[in-house]
Amino acid sequence: MLVTSLTKSISEISGNRDTNLSNDFFLPKGEQMENIISIKDVFYKYPGSDNYAVNGISLDIKANEWISIVGKNGSGKTTLTRLIDGLEECESGTIEIDGVVTDEETIWDARKKIGIVFQNPDHQFVGATVEDDVAFGLENQGMPREQMINAVDNALKMVDMQDFKKRDPQSLSGGQKQRVAIAGVLAIKPQIIIMDESTSMLDPEGRKTVINLIEQLRSEQNLTVISITHDIEETQLSDRIIVLNSGKIVKDTDPADLYNLGPQLTEFGLEEPFTNLVAAGLTDLIDFKGYITEEGLIDKLCELNLKR
Amino acid sequence: MDKLIIGRYLPGDSLIYRLDPRLKFLITFYFIGIVFLANNVASYAFLLVFVLFAVYVSKVNLLFFIKGLRPMFWLILFTVALQAFFTPSNDPIWHWAFLTLSKDGLVIAAYIFMRFILIIFISTLLTLTTTPIEISDSIESILKPLKAVKFPVTQVALMLSIALRFVPLLIDETTKIMDAQRARGVDFGEGGLIKRIKAFVPILIPLFVSSFSIAYDLAIAMESRGYKDGEGRSKYRVLNWSKRDNWTIVFMVLVTAILLLLRSYR
Repeated sequence: MLVTSLTKSISEISGNRDTNLSNDFFLPKGEQMENIISIKDVFYKYPGSDNYAVNGISLDIKANEWISIVGKNGSGKTTLTRLIDGLEECESGTIEIDGVVTDEETIWDARKKIGIVFQNPDHQFVGATVEDDVAFGLENQGMPREQMINAVDNALKMVDMQDFKKRDPQSLSGGQKQRVAIAGVLAIKPQIIIMDESTSMLDPEGRKTVINLIEQLRSEQNLTVISITHDIEETQLSDRIIVLNSGKIVKDTDPADLYNLGPQLTEFGLEEPFTNLVAAGLTDLIDFKGYITEEGLIDKLCELNLKR
Repeated sequence: MDKLIIGRYLPGDSLIYRLDPRLKFLITFYFIGIVFLANNVASYAFLLVFVLFAVYVSKVNLLFFIKGLRPMFWLILFTVALQAFFTPSNDPIWHWAFLTLSKDGLVIAAYIFMRFILIIFISTLLTLTTTPIEISDSIESILKPLKAVKFPVTQVALMLSIALRFVPLLIDETTKIMDAQRARGVDFGEGGLIKRIKAFVPILIPLFVSSFSIAYDLAIAMESRGYKDGEGRSKYRVLNWSKRDNWTIVFMVLVTAILLLLRSYR
């Protein structure tokens, strides 16, 4: 199983990597549209700062891909997502969302395709009640009220929060608040969801529900997910991991390949996966090579148990 | 903070809860106006009966209203005492130095006391039965004509509703900061008045800083959800004017008529 998943990811890598940029010019139009986000040579510096927060990043993201962006604090992860949503303006370089280069005029349309779930659930709640908050994005689009009522109900159903419709945010748990935030984002029917450390302030249970929800929604709604995280468990779900350091991409690979780095992971602001740590402690007894999935580890441990 | 009844909403359901918040808002101000029309025992008694009737219909426990008086207690006592002892009269019941107690003075003091009770009860009734967001929606709706003179009504209303939404969050924040300072040895409950006030300065600064960071986060979140400015937005919450609101207006007209009648009845 391990082998098949590995070979699958390897074939994916060799199929996708490094080909995007050059191929875009030659591929037929249908193929080009596959890149939902296309970032080219983007630089950005915060006012008053000497260092570039985003220092020449080029990146293509395919539709329905789940991308994790990792890196230490201050490596430019959040800045990059803000640039994608046009919340900050690039100093140079271009960002294309769904085939349209974003500028002051097109950004409002681009934002309809992107939903961001932020880190602190309390700091993104605009409405006085759950339903009001979900409706906020729709109100901004000027959607007629009758349609809005349906859209709000649907969005709340998707995150299983319809029973909390009339509640005020203060009475919800952190995980519930984030689910409402996700509903608010889903209501506008985005193509891309950006999770900006959305689970970092939640308890393990809240984190699990939010992550499972996003995974389920991705397949149901055909969403592209960009997740900024420090949590290794979360990156396991992604198709691709981008490691940023000082505003540059230092690695662009798949989870298995990244976890192979072992202790070096801490340099990127990640902890080693639990399975790696167990395997490292048992190298004398079992033959481990590189990264091992949870199932792989269980198989190996059962094998070990049988040998005794 | 928990003891403050004024400005607090109490979840419930009754006729008063279901009235259009705009009407409730306007009636409250209207009532505060007509309280000053009352000029004799009968008219004050009538207004008291009206307020108690409204409290009864609202199905809110009268105790909440009496508790609501508590923060105003000293103000009421002071004003009433002032009226009672300083009303000049030719026919004093009791006299000492500059203090005079007379029948007229006592009557005026009683009226003033009644005014306090009536006004506090009716405004407490408004806030207990109307959510802050309904009040801010009412204000928006009532101020709508000001759009004609380019007054940003929708923006102000959104500002108001966000401010209301963040009050509990800022209270949490304050508690957190106070706990953090207590942990480092600050004592907020001791010393003279000046010392206590001084102890609050180190709370205000971190509170300001964190308010700004919350405001920044919220602004980013709002922009990412497509908030441009107040224009071109639709509204999810709507206020519904119904038949019972019409009947309430008729009722208020009757109340006013009876009040005017009692007033001229000397």
